[in-house]
Amino acid sequence: MPRREDINKVLVIGSGPIVIGQACEFDYSGTQACRVLRREGYEVVLVNSNPATIMTDPETADRTYVEPITVDAVSKIIERERPDALLPNMGGQTALNCAVALGEAGVLDRFDVEVIGCDLDSIRIGEDRELFAAAMRDIGLEVAASGFAHTLDEALATSEELGYPVVIRPSFTLGGAGGGIAHNANELRVIASQGLSLSPTTEVLVEQSIEGWKEIEMEVMRDATGNGIVICSIENVDPMGVHTGDSITVAPAQTLSDMELQRLRDYSLACLERVGVATGGSNVQFAVNPSDGRVIVIEMNPRVSRSSALASKATGFPIAKAAALLAVGYTLDEITNDITRVTPACFEPSIDYCVVKVPRFAFEKFKGTSEELTTRMKSVGEAMAIGRTFEEALQKALRSLEDGHDGLSDEGQLFDEDRFDELVAGPTAERIYYVAEALRRGWTVEHIARVSSIDPWYLHRIADIITAERTISRLGLAGMDRRCLLAAKQMGFSDAQIAHLVHSKEDVIRAVREALGVLPVVKTVDTCAGEFAAQTSYHYLTYEDGNASEHVEAGKPRVVILSAGPNRIGQGIEFDYCCVHAAYALREMGYETVMVNCNPETVSTDYDTSDRLYFEPLTFEDVMNVIEVEQPAGVIVTLGGQTPIKLAHRLEEAGVPLMGTSSEAIDLAEDRDRFSALLDRLAIPYPPSSVASTPEEARGAARTLGYPLIVRPSYVLGGRGMAIVYSDEALASYMEEAAHITPDHPVYLDAFLEDAIELDVDALADGEDCYVGAVLEHIEECGIHSGDSACCYPPFSLSDVMVERIRQTTRELARSCEIRGLLNVQYAVKDEQLYVIELNPRASRTVPFSSKASGVALAKHAARIMAGKPIGSLGLPSETREPSHFAVKEAVMPWARFPGSDVRLGPEMRSTGEVMGIAATFPEAYAKTRQAIDYEMPAEGSVFISVRDADKRSIAPVAFALAQMGYRIMATKGTAKTLRAAGISCEVLMRIGEGHPNVLDRITEGDISFIINTPHGHGSRGDGEALRSEAVNRGISLVSTLSGATALLQALATLRESAGLPVYALQDLSSAPTDHGTSRA
Amino acid sequence: MNPLAFEDARPPALLALEDGTCLRGYACGALGEAFGEVVFNTSMVGYQEIVTDPSYAGQIVTLTYPQVGNYGVSELAMQSAGTALKGLVVRDMCHIPSHWQSAGSFPDFLRAHNVVAIEGVDTRALTLRIRNTGAMRAAISTVDLNPESLVARVIASPAISAHNYVADVSPRQERKVPADAQALEKRLAVGKPALHVVAYDCGEKRGIEDELAVAGCTVTCVPFDTPASRVLSLAPDGVFFSNGPGDPQQVTQTAQAAKDILGKVPVFGICLGNQLVSMAAGAQIEKLPFGHHGGNEPVMNLLTHRVEVTAQNHNYGLVFESMGPLVPELSGAETEHVHDLRHWVERGIAPVVETKNHGRVRLTHVNLNDGTPEGIQFLDIPAFSVQYHPESRPGPHDSRYLFQAFVRLMDAWRERDDGASRVSPAYLSIDVREGRPHHAEA
Repeated sequence: MPRREDINKVLVIGSGPIVIGQACEFDYSGTQACRVLRREGYEVVLVNSNPATIMTDPETADRTYVEPITVDAVSKIIERERPDALLPNMGGQTALNCAVALGEAGVLDRFDVEVIGCDLDSIRIGEDRELFAAAMRDIGLEVAASGFAHTLDEALATSEELGYPVVIRPSFTLGGAGGGIAHNANELRVIASQGLSLSPTTEVLVEQSIEGWKEIEMEVMRDATGNGIVICSIENVDPMGVHTGDSITVAPAQTLSDMELQRLRDYSLACLERVGVATGGSNVQFAVNPSDGRVIVIEMNPRVSRSSALASKATGFPIAKAAALLAVGYTLDEITNDITRVTPACFEPSIDYCVVKVPRFAFEKFKGTSEELTTRMKSVGEAMAIGRTFEEALQKALRSLEDGHDGLSDEGQLFDEDRFDELVAGPTAERIYYVAEALRRGWTVEHIARVSSIDPWYLHRIADIITAERTISRLGLAGMDRRCLLAAKQMGFSDAQIAHLVHSKEDVIRAVREALGVLPVVKTVDTCAGEFAAQTSYHYLTYEDGNASEHVEAGKPRVVILSAGPNRIGQGIEFDYCCVHAAYALREMGYETVMVNCNPETVSTDYDTSDRLYFEPLTFEDVMNVIEVEQPAGVIVTLGGQTPIKLAHRLEEAGVPLMGTSSEAIDLAEDRDRFSALLDRLAIPYPPSSVASTPEEARGAARTLGYPLIVRPSYVLGGRGMAIVYSDEALASYMEEAAHITPDHPVYLDAFLEDAIELDVDALADGEDCYVGAVLEHIEECGIHSGDSACCYPPFSLSDVMVERIRQTTRELARSCEIRGLLNVQYAVKDEQLYVIELNPRASRTVPFSSKASGVALAKHAARIMAGKPIGSLGLPSETREPSHFAVKEAVMPWARFPGSDVRLGPEMRSTGEVMGIAATFPEAYAKTRQAIDYEMPAEGSVFISVRDADKRSIAPVAFALAQMGYRIMATKGTAKTLRAAGISCEVLMRIGEGHPNVLDRITEGDISFIINTPHGHGSRGDGEALRSEAVNRGISLVSTLSGATALLQALATLRESAGLPVYALQDLSSAPTDHGTSRA
Repeated sequence: MNPLAFEDARPPALLALEDGTCLRGYACGALGEAFGEVVFNTSMVGYQEIVTDPSYAGQIVTLTYPQVGNYGVSELAMQSAGTALKGLVVRDMCHIPSHWQSAGSFPDFLRAHNVVAIEGVDTRALTLRIRNTGAMRAAISTVDLNPESLVARVIASPAISAHNYVADVSPRQERKVPADAQALEKRLAVGKPALHVVAYDCGEKRGIEDELAVAGCTVTCVPFDTPASRVLSLAPDGVFFSNGPGDPQQVTQTAQAAKDILGKVPVFGICLGNQLVSMAAGAQIEKLPFGHHGGNEPVMNLLTHRVEVTAQNHNYGLVFESMGPLVPELSGAETEHVHDLRHWVERGIAPVVETKNHGRVRLTHVNLNDGTPEGIQFLDIPAFSVQYHPESRPGPHDSRYLFQAFVRLMDAWRERDDGASRVSPAYLSIDVREGRPHHAEA
């Protein structure tokens, strides 16, 4: 069937902010969908609250709404835009839930909007486990024995009936949030009550545990006529019991026979038919008993997912693009395979390499939480690697994580000897290294398989790596001939790993390797295992005897763009966004763009974002390999965050031409001493600071600077290991721990400017000129990491004079540091005094937000500058123009994933994503960000207030206003005293230790709508922590800074006055974010 | 297996192609030498089914998926009693497999069946060479490791078309395969009689026998050179022409039998069987550049307009245009043949030609990758055939409905009016979704 002519305008819903379980894979899928629908002539309307996405670029859709994904906001958009159809299966569970809610609210009927790509019933069957189980039984498929529970007692009863262990799965939650495995009644109580409170329908499934079975996923597509294909099978190395997002996964499945695999294929297609997936991509998960092949269906997702993004990158088959075309009427045989361009999309990709995905965790940022992996996803990102064997792909994937491992080696790994056995057996982020070490220590594969349930096939392959390690060590560098070195590289050993094994240096290994002619060859991801010629340049590097490379010389000069690697807290989609923009801008300028990245979730690793894509780790070795193959005119290292920046110096030493800011300039900005000297010379104030390598030195520095101090290790991103200390004691304990974080690096100590206003500035510089793109005022005061702080464009409380001074200072700094490209400066304003906190000579996390808020595509312009264009030629709008609107960015915190860790903002970044709100006033814009995160604002009920002494004076007006708005005020004794003194009546609640009913009881009873709790600057463990953690468990809004409380208060007041906030399309804003660069270029 | 992980030294091996390409590796099967035609197969699993498929007689098979042998070997996967291929080329062989059904390792299996195999070569580079040059003569040797000498001997070796490989793999004796008891019971329960199929075994895969049995047929497998008179004397409800190796033009005895049998009883052919049946109707045969070998070939069923993902293994195919002129009234008023048969897919029409020998023949299936014919149906006699492998093994189960169609054809033929020479062609129009085994069970 050809495209549908009865629809013209399609509304696409995105997935909102990056959260654990729903990351930039939905930007990738949504962007593909918007593009292909527009190419087909449809008008596309998009709603997504996440500004750091390519999909919300004004060029991606016809009408772009950066608005909360709520029924209220989306209804308004529908009312204004009158789309004919709604495509909800590109935006993850968020979009599906929103579509269901719009349907239930009657909005879709009222405005005659047809849901395409899936129907609401199939969403319900896919997500409601009871309906799903019944559907599967209908077609004769086995599901795990289970029962639903709506109360804790029901859950206990069902578990008794099924027998422990049982799996708890809450209905309708993201990434299995609130789920887990309970081995006894006590564990059940904890997990089930969490699950019940997180489930929007207060429902959990209690299910027979099939821990230890193989976990297999099938990525399936179906069209409206019933054609069905399997794109890819994915096998989890970690068996059932670990969320697939937290598992090491492999494509294609390695341990299933054809008989087993084809049976799963039949089941998957039957499952889609039965659930009623009209068209599009779905993911079906199975458990396979390793001892008899018995199959149980676990779940299916009737939409594109993280796994489908992985499958797309693993095979080269663009699932989301195809799904969008299917939704508007095409059938699979009518869509052309992008890669071959001569065969149809209606086939099943065959791959001739192995793909391994490894998750990246951030437990170090959530101290106190359990690091055990469960059915509840905890990873914050992932890296994918391609190799000709599992062994090679695994080692490449591990070094792609950039967590200090060069592969599966033991270098630098500290093993916990007391818990060694336990850490081999149980799933944690580190298990793979423990398994490898156990093999080194002589454990047998059989034994490890027994205790870990990891399939012996994988263990044998890991054992082969360990045997190879031994062989390499035994031979030594002198004993390694060409064949040995080639064999080592074929097993994925990095030069650094080999150097470690033969007691040499990475550079030496590289030199020897090159001298012996052991060079990587370029291979192509082509969907068809070489059967047809590939028309796209999606590559990976590997080692083969015969050096048969598929590299083709380009006619145009090439630019290599190094992206950001796996998402982690502090380095996420924002940097990928910048790299994608650079690719677009440079392609327009006539360069052939070459992207290097290893993150399968991103737009940058879509094969048509750049002219060439290398799916490779971002280590020096792998990047140099690409550079040696491509011989680029320039390499961009300043857009992908800290990952490529760290390589700048070595690349330049190796003679690689860096584009833009030089490594010398990077060093000037990042070296504290040199930078301080520069600031001194320019007479720009900065908080007094010092450096210390020992606790004694630190104490000495504290004497000079005075407390409070902000302390941090050198060369980190996202405030890793950063803290504010108020006393000698705190400083001493910090120094003890700091040694763990980065040995051989000193610790920085800065005087902490308490209660100062913090600012982020994103600017462009070309070596002479500087253009300040955006000055962002933080809502939270200094001391809260800028990534976790809300901020506003334009500044809402600064004078024009101060803003001008900020611009001037930025200009001076840019010129002095010889920045060519982007820079970001963080400032603090205290008592009308401007301090420089730091300068980042690279793209910052706020670039996408700044670009959308100001309407200037900063990253694109940066790329043009790096390619030699002066700022004057870019056609940029005036820095001092008056924006017609306020744009607020707010951070999204993953607290609910990490029970046990303290819920408070601090100098170490812990947010996973961000949302943007656009409105005529600051409170409205801020209100939108709250809606975008919480989806609902507490319009009535009780507010519990407990603030530290320093905030007591300022809390009274806030509480007064809240009381005026009709909220009931509850407070702890101390806070209550202040409030009563101000004439505000409030109920005093007992502290947790003081008896019952205390504040925790009241939270549990559901009496409290939201909480204002500002923690004490130091050592506030105890009451506050328990309180905050319970609030998170219950999903109660919590504000932990006074400035945040004030902003929230304004937002609540705004919402109360208006019947709902108006929505804005980016294309309608007076400073509509358009790409001005090409007009005069 | 990576040499650094292998404790003992392994014998080196050399692969040589007639174009002079040489690739070094290690032996991972029997020692010795093998000369044959090198082809590649893109199935990611199913290596044991592939090496035991008699259609590979005379060939050296390259598996494009790099890691082979992961789940060992099992009697259940056997497609014949042994192996018929000449040699095997893999990138990385698994010597310690893991699977609950595994009865041993794949390299041990290859040694036991005397298959020469080489690992450690860049199979992707080899595949691209075959894709660009076409299937070539080649050799694997663990004896002659001198590239010049081995290439020279490859060039001197005979072409695959020079030999009738069917004679090597076809059984000497007739043998019976009983119908699946449950399936038979089901048939009898609805008042349908047992069906007897005589199968020309030109190297028939066990999967085909199994599927015929599961469809409720008792099968008598006969040698490839059994005269038609003998077959017809067995009073079959239908005759099946199996897959088999090599050039169909070498298999003159079976081709003659097809001519004699067509029109007398229902006929179904697969792969080589498809070629023999179409030759009987007057079709010419062509050799494809590098054939279709894999489990992901998309085929459009022009009767149902559904796509089947199919398993394929052939180097030869019929030329649809050569079967006769188009019948315009049954071909959307078109009179001119189009070589790329995807034209008919776009038009949504199953064109019909008038053949010299057996009346009208309809094109029913087309390969969407290259527009080659994949299936035909005779309209004036009870016969149909497909170029691909509905029994798969390895590969997807989408086309299993064809065995059901054969049963429907035989039933319709039995139940036809006296003296009628044809039955309604509707027997073949089965939706792929109903054909998938799982739905049949449910």
